[in-house]
Amino acid sequence: MTRLAEHLRRGSGFVWFSGATLAFSLAMIISLVGYIAARGLGFFWPSPLLQVQTAEGVVLGEITDREAARGEEPAKVQFRVGNRDIYGQDFRWVPASGMGAPTQPREAVLLERSEYGPFMGRIASISHLGAVVAEGDRALAEAQARLPESRRLLDQLHSIEVGKVGELNRRIEKLRVTRKGLELRGEVGRLAALDSEVAGLQSTYDSLQTSLDQTRADTKAWVLGLETADGQKKEWPLASVVRIVPANDLSTPGRLGIYLARLWEFVAGDPRESNTEGGIFPAIFGTVMMVLVMSVMVVPLGVVTALYLREYARQGWLVRAVRVAVNNLAGVPSIVFGVFGLGFFVYSLGGSIDRMFFAESLPTPTYGTGGILWASLTLALLTVPVVVVATEEALGSVARSQREASLAMGATKWQTLWNVVLPAATPGILTGLILAIARGAGEVAPLMLTGVVKLAPSMPLDGTFPFFHLDRKFMHLGFHIYDVGFQSPNSEAAKPMVFMASLLLLAVVVILNIFALNLRRKLRARLGGSTF
Amino acid sequence: MASNPGIQARAKRVDRFMTFAISGGGLLIIGAVLAMLLFILKEAAPLFLPPRVSQVGTLQNAPSSGVWLDESGKAAVILSRETGLKALRLPEGTALPVPGGGPTLPWREVTVPNTRGESLVTGSDGRLFLARLTWTKPAGENDPSHWELNPQWQGGFLPSPAPTRILHFRLKEGGGLGAAPQLLIAAQLGSSLGWLETDLTGEAPAPWKTIPLEAGLEASAAVWSSDGASLAVGTRDGRLLILEPASGSVIASAVFGEPITALGYALGQSSILVGGSRGGLVAYQRARLGEEFQLQPFHQFPRLSGSVLGFQASLRDKRFLAWTPTEAVVDHLTTERRLMSVPVSGTGLAAMAPRGDLILHARTDSGALQLWTLDAPHPEVSMGVLWSKTHFEGYGKPEYVWQSTGGTDDFEPKFSLVPLVFGTLKGTLYAMLFAFPMAVLGALYTSQFAAPRFRNVIKPAVEIMAALPSVVLGFLAGLVMAPLLERSAVEVLVYPFCVLLAVLLAAPFWSRLSQPFRNRFGTGQEALWIAPVLLLGVGLAILVGPWVEHALMGGSYRTWLQSALGVTYDQRNSLVVGFAMGFAVIPIIFTISEDALSSVPRSLTSASLACGASPWQTAWRVVLPTASPGIFSATMVGLGRAIGETMIVLMATGNTPVMDWGPFNGMRTLSANIAVEIPEAPLHGTLYRVLFLAAFLLFLFTFVLNTVAELVRQRLRRRYESI
Repeated sequence: MTRLAEHLRRGSGFVWFSGATLAFSLAMIISLVGYIAARGLGFFWPSPLLQVQTAEGVVLGEITDREAARGEEPAKVQFRVGNRDIYGQDFRWVPASGMGAPTQPREAVLLERSEYGPFMGRIASISHLGAVVAEGDRALAEAQARLPESRRLLDQLHSIEVGKVGELNRRIEKLRVTRKGLELRGEVGRLAALDSEVAGLQSTYDSLQTSLDQTRADTKAWVLGLETADGQKKEWPLASVVRIVPANDLSTPGRLGIYLARLWEFVAGDPRESNTEGGIFPAIFGTVMMVLVMSVMVVPLGVVTALYLREYARQGWLVRAVRVAVNNLAGVPSIVFGVFGLGFFVYSLGGSIDRMFFAESLPTPTYGTGGILWASLTLALLTVPVVVVATEEALGSVARSQREASLAMGATKWQTLWNVVLPAATPGILTGLILAIARGAGEVAPLMLTGVVKLAPSMPLDGTFPFFHLDRKFMHLGFHIYDVGFQSPNSEAAKPMVFMASLLLLAVVVILNIFALNLRRKLRARLGGSTF
Repeated sequence: MASNPGIQARAKRVDRFMTFAISGGGLLIIGAVLAMLLFILKEAAPLFLPPRVSQVGTLQNAPSSGVWLDESGKAAVILSRETGLKALRLPEGTALPVPGGGPTLPWREVTVPNTRGESLVTGSDGRLFLARLTWTKPAGENDPSHWELNPQWQGGFLPSPAPTRILHFRLKEGGGLGAAPQLLIAAQLGSSLGWLETDLTGEAPAPWKTIPLEAGLEASAAVWSSDGASLAVGTRDGRLLILEPASGSVIASAVFGEPITALGYALGQSSILVGGSRGGLVAYQRARLGEEFQLQPFHQFPRLSGSVLGFQASLRDKRFLAWTPTEAVVDHLTTERRLMSVPVSGTGLAAMAPRGDLILHARTDSGALQLWTLDAPHPEVSMGVLWSKTHFEGYGKPEYVWQSTGGTDDFEPKFSLVPLVFGTLKGTLYAMLFAFPMAVLGALYTSQFAAPRFRNVIKPAVEIMAALPSVVLGFLAGLVMAPLLERSAVEVLVYPFCVLLAVLLAAPFWSRLSQPFRNRFGTGQEALWIAPVLLLGVGLAILVGPWVEHALMGGSYRTWLQSALGVTYDQRNSLVVGFAMGFAVIPIIFTISEDALSSVPRSLTSASLACGASPWQTAWRVVLPTASPGIFSATMVGLGRAIGETMIVLMATGNTPVMDWGPFNGMRTLSANIAVEIPEAPLHGTLYRVLFLAAFLLFLFTFVLNTVAELVRQRLRRRYESI
């Protein structure tokens, strides 16, 4: 008994307890990252299509979840059965008990389609302009052979639509705005010339549209006859098929090929089906652009502020107070910055810009609505304290001897700063910038108010003058996660996409942070600064 | 080189310029960043500006019996018993053309038009007409001299007998499609109360039906309910009754206390405004208290001077106009604020434009008109509404409610910030309950017991944890953890006990190991060795959980919670938020605490150890108290982060503004509320400004917390230096 009391008093058990809390925290981080990675990366692997006989008929699909028996509830298995156009839902729970042994029918295929999610079943026939070309086993081979040509035609179609037709639309819209401007100023004389120009463009547009319709009809010539596992039939144009995956008839390299193709589509493709399928390239691109614009603004802001505070301002209680205030800005909730961005940048500043320079397109706002410029500016404000703190630290750690040497040689203060201090402080400033980027890339709340959208029709950077469109709305990885996971009508089917987007965002932020923290540690080790 | 005067001068010039530029730029940036606070405050401030009233003119006109103001406030229509209709352009009062027609002059009686421009007019021949006044406005035309007044005269029937005074009328839309609207009228017939219902087609005489009142009661004012099914009646001895006109049965009654002289409705027609002969002004509503409907006085307004003559409601918000022989006031129902109070002279009547921004008073005898503008853009907000319990329409008692928008135009916005502040505190509390012990104990372990090699791994790992985007945490919390917790709440509950069990199971194995081995590999790496035990705990919990649920909770914990504790379990609840937000806060508290703990001067710990204290005793009794200001400061910073966190709460709670500390339901925080509502809030509207006020509060909270933390930390640093 006394031994136990002694034990408690000396408290080695508590050491273990405090160790356990730490272990718990670390285990949470590891399991979080691991879970996201497994769910995200695993999604693209073509898993086999299992067919089981249930009380309600045949079910064919991928197993996505299992639930153990619990009280009254029997054990269940969740199948992803696809065929949303036929069944109305993507998933089905099947009681595990009466399921029987699953089989893997060789001819089962998974079609990734441009509408209604995947189809799971078999290809019964393929026909061209109504005439059946192949049936049974050969239909699959024929379809696979025809698919690349079909995709190529569609790509062509798409590029014409986006490129030429889009260009024409933009020119017509621009003329319309010019016309309105002329009307506003009362210059009626030039209206007729404008009108004829519009008419010319319109006729070009019409002829282009006819040829497009022709090509579109061509792509619809090939039609697949599909059949689900429970015998329902469906005609499906080959043009609406993105990929054919004969999931049960694949070698490991074949699977790997499909895996990589899907991964590539995810990273480099456009989203489909209200963001629940396809790729997230626009979101990646939007995030990168926003972060770049933010960096361009945050570095001068932060560095000038730090230079002033450290080098020029008279050190006293006021500067100390300002320093504390700037530091504390880092702790102000990001949503507050968002509210400020919305009220000041978007409504006040943007509204004034519109009234001054874009009066002819009003009431449609140009800058008076959220856009990449305002979002970046808001984030620049949000991250300025990070850069200021890092830069100040870097400036402070430049050896006094170096400055004094420079000053003793007759250099002015600015020459010393520019040629001696700033170069030495560059890695520190860089660290601050990277931390700012990592913070900025992960923020979502302020962006929701200042210009991020779930689906942007065009990128902030493209081939039309002036190439970089600061007024455009953009897509963002973090917002994509929120939107697809929580606002999407079919969020269960979209979950893997969200995991993948999370993984990507996590990877970007974590890698940037590791990089910055390493850099900082090296600098500190070299300069022997304190950490507290 | 230095001897070259040109270069030197240039360098000096550049230097001076840069000094100027950097100082100016730096000050500008700092100013701009701090001006953020001012901007947010500036956007919120108009909420609290007092309403502005200005008299814009006095005009002379024929004696009027009724006035109707157009929505734009640019034109008034005057109904005069002697001369019929007149139209005026406001504010200068020039006459506008008026078409002929209407009942024969002079009119016997004119009721005060309602805000929609409807009035009952009795001609000299006793025929009763419904006048519907409308302006025909050419598209985009703002000048009333280009408008055309289009009075429609409907009905023309002969009520029998002729009423002494018409108290109120209501147009009830016809039942079927295209069915003619029905006109309901309540009137004094001598000393009794009569009513009739007629369509507006016939000219046939319409007979009155009398409503039998209790003996001794005499009706002095009446209003129809919005569906026309019941009639609210005020009596001369100060009783308010709700009657069913057909049977005369009293549905509800209340005692007002002074003779009732006027009845009216606020927008939405569910709040009955009652005015008395001594200037009393109270709003009643029909509320279900227990089994029966009762008339509940739920808003009390400051007493007026003189007896209340009439009411008129705005069609835009819950403000209404009331007037007496000596003053005219505009009050707001929800806030009970008096937006305007102006003296008037002489018996007359008043009218308010539908938007409630223009008030006109006309004397019945002399024809003098007075005109005021009222600028009260945010009457529905007051300190009282924001911060204390308010009695909203349809609620049985005063409550804290946040509900900014509703389905209908006559919705009463409920801007109480209390549920949101409550939600913020609740989320923060649950997060801190989880994060504080985890972070501080973890930091204590890392700084005092962990082997240096191990520590060099932990610290960066936790720093990375701080950088995890909150949207990812929120997504995991909402879509992975919430369903998981719902499925295995009992397992989570029994987990701590299972860990204890696992420790008891594992301890003998550990003590079997040789002392040198334990010293070599155990000390400083306890966290590694305990990890498998924690894992074992998970396994045990999975085994034990269903058993516990079956044995103690009858098979389903949700039904058990419901029946035993009366608690419903929401999937996205405070536990999930606490866990996820705790996850976001742990690294912040951990890093700062760890810095503070590991900076405790060596001399102190060495002294303690040398006196024979164990490492734990040293850590607990010496290191922790010394570093406690640092831990306090860490907690403040962590609190700041938790208060402002948006995405996690947005995604991991149901965002319902409930006020309940329970762990199994959700909340709505200030920050999530801003994110949800501001994209839909009209620019410079009341909601927009209230959300800016919420943002300002968040700013203030976090800024204060962080400043306190920073000051504490600086003091601690100085203390360490002095030891």
